[in-house]
Amino acid sequence: MELVKNDDSTWTLSKVSELEHLMLSRLPDSADPTGCEEAVDRLYPSPIAPDAEIDGDKSFTLENDWKEFIEPDLRSDFRDSLKVVADDLGKSSMTKEGDLNQYEFIIPTAHANHWCSALNQARIVIHHRYDLPSEDGLLDMDPNPEKWMATLQSEIYGMLMEFLIKKVLWV
Amino acid sequence: MRNLGSNVEVETPPSPEVDVLNEVTKPWQVMILNDPVNLMSFVTLILRRIFGYSEERAVELMLKVHYEGSAVVWTGEREKAELYVQQLQSHQLYAVMEPVD
Repeated sequence: MELVKNDDSTWTLSKVSELEHLMLSRLPDSADPTGCEEAVDRLYPSPIAPDAEIDGDKSFTLENDWKEFIEPDLRSDFRDSLKVVADDLGKSSMTKEGDLNQYEFIIPTAHANHWCSALNQARIVIHHRYDLPSEDGLLDMDPNPEKWMATLQSEIYGMLMEFLIKKVLWV
Repeated sequence: MRNLGSNVEVETPPSPEVDVLNEVTKPWQVMILNDPVNLMSFVTLILRRIFGYSEERAVELMLKVHYEGSAVVWTGEREKAELYVQQLQSHQLYAVMEPVD
């Protein structure tokens, strides 16, 4: 996989292998936290610090206001990003490199933040859904194929985020 | 404390106005908590973007989050703290706030 910033208006994701393409095609679904309470709690946390010394009533009011007025906006922003990325993913072109298929996406620069958001959402959900260890614990992870596949998927998303940050978003 | 003209001194309870004033003027701090998922470069980028910090300052705060578990990234009035927490959470950073003692 290779990422090139073309000009101020587009960037190209090219040399995307079959495996990487498969992982990218799973991105919108993987970012859906439905059924994973830990991921929902992490994506929409309370605004109050866990050890904050704050009056119970005030804390209750702030948390309720947050749920009523802020959380819907966050949900809407996250959904919008996933929709943009899903649309971009539907516009790939395929080329042949020997016997292997490769894919290419030309993406508007204006979508880069949506991509970062979608990739990050997916990484958070995958981490909690599969109870993945932190980087230091990877070698001790139990030999569960689902977990290893989830780790690979998360790593590919992380690598793409790094490309995006360094080549498109960093100013 | 005020003197009522006798030798007895009584404690004056704080007026509700003072309570409200304290509540409004009391500073709050915005914190980022460590998260095993968020990339270091992403946290640095968002800190620079939202607070306008230099790259050096943003990296310093990011490393504090990473190694110490949390970092206070801004302190000030409550309304603005809420706005910053919302902006940080909109980038999936684990951001929270609390009143400063």
